[in-house]
Amino acid sequence: MRDLSVRAGSKSRILAGIKKLSRQKYLQGMALIGIIWMMVFAYLPMYGIIIAFKKYNITKPIASAPWVGLQHFNDFFGDDKFIQILTNTLGISLLKLAIGFPLPIIFAVLLNEITSMRFKKYVQTVSYLPHFISWVVLGGIMITWTSEGGIINHILMELKVLNEPVVFLAEPQYFWGIAVISDIWKELGWSAIIYMAAIAGIDPELYEAATVDGASRFNRIFMITLPCIKGTVAVLFVLAVSSIMGTNFDQIFVLKNPLNAPASDVIDIYVYRMGMNSARFSYATAINLFKSVISLMLLLTANRVTKKLTDASLF
Amino acid sequence: MRFLNTRQSISENAFELINIFIMLIICFLTLYPIWYCIVNSFNDGADAMMGGIYWWPRMFSIDNYKAVFADTSILKAFAVTILRTVIGTALAVYFTAMVSYALSKKELAGRKIYMMIGSITLFFSGGLIPFFILIKKIGLYDNFLVFIIPSMFYFFNAIIFIAFFKELPSALEESAKIDGANDVVIFIKIIIPLSTPVLATIAIYVGVYHWNDYFAGVIFIKSMDLQPIQTFLYKIIAENTSGQMMGRAAGSINQGAVTSQSIKLATMVATTFPIVCVYPFLQKYFVKGILLGSVKG
Amino acid sequence: MGNKKSLKILSVLVALMILVLSASGCSSDRGTVSVEPDKAAEQGADEGTPKDDEGPGWKKDTSDITFDWYIHYSWFGAKWGENEVTKYITEKTGVKINFIVPSGNENEKLNTLIASASLPDFVTLGWWENGVKMMQEGDLVHPLNKLADQYDADFYKAAAKSTLDWYKKPDGNVYGYPNFSMAPERIEEGMQIESNQTFLVRKDIYEQIGKPDMRTPEGFLNALKAAKEKFPTVNGQPLIPLGLQEFTDSGNKSIESDLVNFLAIPREKDGKYYDAETHPEYLRWMKVLRKANEMKLISKDIFVDKRSQMEEKMAQGRYFSMIYQRTDMASQQLELYRKNPDMVYIAIDGPSNESLEPNRPAFAGGMAGWTLTHISTNCKDSKRAIRFLTYLISEEGQKDVYLGKKGVTWDTIDGKDQMLPDVIKLMNSDRGEYDRKYGAEKTYWMLTDELAILKWKPPFEEPIKQNAEWGFGKAISYAAYDDIEPPADSDEGIILKQVKDKRALLLPKLILANSEEEFDKLVNEYQKMKNDIKYDKVISYSQQKIDEHKEALGIK
Repeated sequence: MRDLSVRAGSKSRILAGIKKLSRQKYLQGMALIGIIWMMVFAYLPMYGIIIAFKKYNITKPIASAPWVGLQHFNDFFGDDKFIQILTNTLGISLLKLAIGFPLPIIFAVLLNEITSMRFKKYVQTVSYLPHFISWVVLGGIMITWTSEGGIINHILMELKVLNEPVVFLAEPQYFWGIAVISDIWKELGWSAIIYMAAIAGIDPELYEAATVDGASRFNRIFMITLPCIKGTVAVLFVLAVSSIMGTNFDQIFVLKNPLNAPASDVIDIYVYRMGMNSARFSYATAINLFKSVISLMLLLTANRVTKKLTDASLF
Repeated sequence: MRFLNTRQSISENAFELINIFIMLIICFLTLYPIWYCIVNSFNDGADAMMGGIYWWPRMFSIDNYKAVFADTSILKAFAVTILRTVIGTALAVYFTAMVSYALSKKELAGRKIYMMIGSITLFFSGGLIPFFILIKKIGLYDNFLVFIIPSMFYFFNAIIFIAFFKELPSALEESAKIDGANDVVIFIKIIIPLSTPVLATIAIYVGVYHWNDYFAGVIFIKSMDLQPIQTFLYKIIAENTSGQMMGRAAGSINQGAVTSQSIKLATMVATTFPIVCVYPFLQKYFVKGILLGSVKG
Repeated sequence: MGNKKSLKILSVLVALMILVLSASGCSSDRGTVSVEPDKAAEQGADEGTPKDDEGPGWKKDTSDITFDWYIHYSWFGAKWGENEVTKYITEKTGVKINFIVPSGNENEKLNTLIASASLPDFVTLGWWENGVKMMQEGDLVHPLNKLADQYDADFYKAAAKSTLDWYKKPDGNVYGYPNFSMAPERIEEGMQIESNQTFLVRKDIYEQIGKPDMRTPEGFLNALKAAKEKFPTVNGQPLIPLGLQEFTDSGNKSIESDLVNFLAIPREKDGKYYDAETHPEYLRWMKVLRKANEMKLISKDIFVDKRSQMEEKMAQGRYFSMIYQRTDMASQQLELYRKNPDMVYIAIDGPSNESLEPNRPAFAGGMAGWTLTHISTNCKDSKRAIRFLTYLISEEGQKDVYLGKKGVTWDTIDGKDQMLPDVIKLMNSDRGEYDRKYGAEKTYWMLTDELAILKWKPPFEEPIKQNAEWGFGKAISYAAYDDIEPPADSDEGIILKQVKDKRALLLPKLILANSEEEFDKLVNEYQKMKNDIKYDKVISYSQQKIDEHKEALGIK
């Protein structure tokens, strides 16, 4: 009897499931096309990850490479550089998160308050231009400008901030700051685009009603604009948190040198040295896998926390 | 009424002034280094090596641009890039929006699993070699479609779409449902017109990716006819870079007005210019509330 | 409504694009017509029919064939078929080449080609690249000796014996043939062989401080000091008393190679290879550099600048002295010469050892040469490929590639075969145009044999002449010590990598050390680290390679 009822119960649940599916067959179809795409272009090649546990030689098929277990991971954690590169990676990323994340939001909100349409458009266009300067070019300019006879030292000495020139990129203590500031300069306007879009989606009637009620500028920013883009901010925050294991490779690559290495050697650079320059594909893959696992965990954690705090989240 | 000189409007005016001032500073800080690049790109390359060019070219020259545009097949490369940008962006934006719309529905069965499948793709990849083998196997190698199909979907963009779709008022969808419209019709007729700001944002992301991508051209393309502009220009820059190697250095010495630095600047200016021109057209979709208003009206 | 509009714009754009594409497609069709395939085919048939079994292999079949040739360096921009040299070679041999050159990301490109077994017919890359070992061990390239045995015995006549021995692998096969290899049996008495390693000083400054002897530590430091005192700035920016090559992830070439050679530090002690970094002469001069920093004669810029910043500074004459590859700064040198012939850099005798032995810079090239050219197992016609390779490394091929076609690009003038004056003039004034029009000299350097072309070389011109001639007679071969590093993914290779990483960080620290005690402490720590990770394994690996090399070179 009990068995029967259980079976009947599961049967009816299945039936209900099928019914639900058939009701949302269009929605399912739309979602599944995306899933299939991901299966082909993202999941099919993922077998490449197993070389993290093998000793892979690129002239031979992956399947024939011998297993080495967790050896590459042990090598990485045991490398005496491990602590240093982890510290630098996290240091630069967290600074970028703390300063570089809120600034584009503030910028977008302030820009939204500009009444002249023309000026607003102009500022927006100008501010996103640096995104298109490649790091190779920008890095070269930065090295020249911050060198001993460069323009920055010239200005600082004229202003009596410095008594003698400082080669900024030769001093590890400045490196994180340089990396963060130059990145913000380059990406401020570009990162603000998404918030501009979010603000554009706010119903103008809300503002009109607020104005009629006599709300001040600040009131409107804090009562309407910010609450309305909260969801977008939360989602981007979660994504930003999940990416703190990564750094901007191109940027660090052009700005690093042996003198600032104690502050500039980050995971991505290390992987490059190992993978590209030393042909240790398995080792580089293992480090990347470690990075990916941490990132996914960060994403899930940040998502849960944000959901609790703001009620907005990815999932 | 609003023009009366109340205390509030004084503080508002002060805010406005300070705000404009901040924006002007940002403009200067962003524009100057760009101006520096432009000025140097219009200067004789060898002369620019002497440094000290800050406001205006010292030896005006368009040789750098001549070197960039010397080979007429650059036009074909430009065409490839424009084509992939237009088609690739249009497809990617609508495709991603469609999948994201479905994923944004709380009632979608299996939604959690789908989201997990997607999130994993953000961080895990099998590396270039398995991907290359896949591309070869499915016949995309040296095929124009290699620019389009593999970049049609990126879960990061889907997340942004989903966040936007969640915030849309559900009243319109419900009334359409009562009228018997299915989800596809609702997506096309109601959701798309309602979401132009986010569509425009993602279009910018994807469009700029397509415009700036040179990697696919290096790895997945063999024929010169299918080279996108960035791959093509990368090559020009490399050819104008004084070789690091002895044979090169022993033989050919780079001479004349073009240096690797000056040609880099010129390529950068030349490829960024079209984007700057297109941007204002997209900007109008960011104008506050225009669409919600029109739909409601 | 905005949507419809954008759709319209989009469709117009697409239509436009299709127009542009089809238009450019047309023009390119017209472009390819000029290659005149028919004519080439005719000639191929003409020359192909009268068979002569005695003649060189490449003459036996001169029908049309196009090989794909991968060149591992993105800066290689020469094309095939447009200039005099390549037209002439195609006419002669029927071979056309389609160069495949990665646009950046060279290693990724090569890795994908290897992993997916899609290598083209010929593959050229530096002997030190990881790809060489991968291709050879993965059986992706033909053993050249097997191809030669099968199809073209002339290969052994054209190739240098010691070069083949040098590249013979334990399995007895030779997989790639190098360019710029200095085979000892081909070096003749009195041959003037260049070196790239130079110690350079700015001529005007050097003369004004009284042309001091800079071979001793005192002379060296005093000269830097005098230069800085007399010329504190150049164009308002501080003078940099000493310049070196770029400090990279793996160290600094100026110190590890140039300086070591200038000091004539022997590579072996009691018949055994050892670690030159421990040699007292090397440490003595590293301390001199440290002293220079103490005397404020070292600018921190030299640790920060990448090559392009250095080139800017050279063009400005910002350095007083440099330990630098002269060939890497030739274009800046010409620029300086054009502006002011007194501002150029001249090569002088640099830091020397205690007994003031002459500087011993290395031959440009060395035994291993520069790049290796392989024939892949995917090759569509390995018979023609080996024959073409033989042609290219033969005397005739060398001449065709270096000088071109007689009467067009070269002639016998004053009893010497040399390029026509007009051709040389264009080469020296507009290299790009020269490559497009003639393509002689080293435009196609893939198999250039420096020793073979020496006799056709045009004389040097100032300011390059002085720099190049300084090395004549001083430069020597370090042949046995080329290519002795273990492969990167072997155990020894991983140890070496760790040492190099450490060394890259150590060198600036040594120069910037506050005192000799600190210097010694750093050196001791470094040596201890080497012991701890068993660096002697790397040394014994190298010893083994050196022994093999000596055998190949016929040195006891």
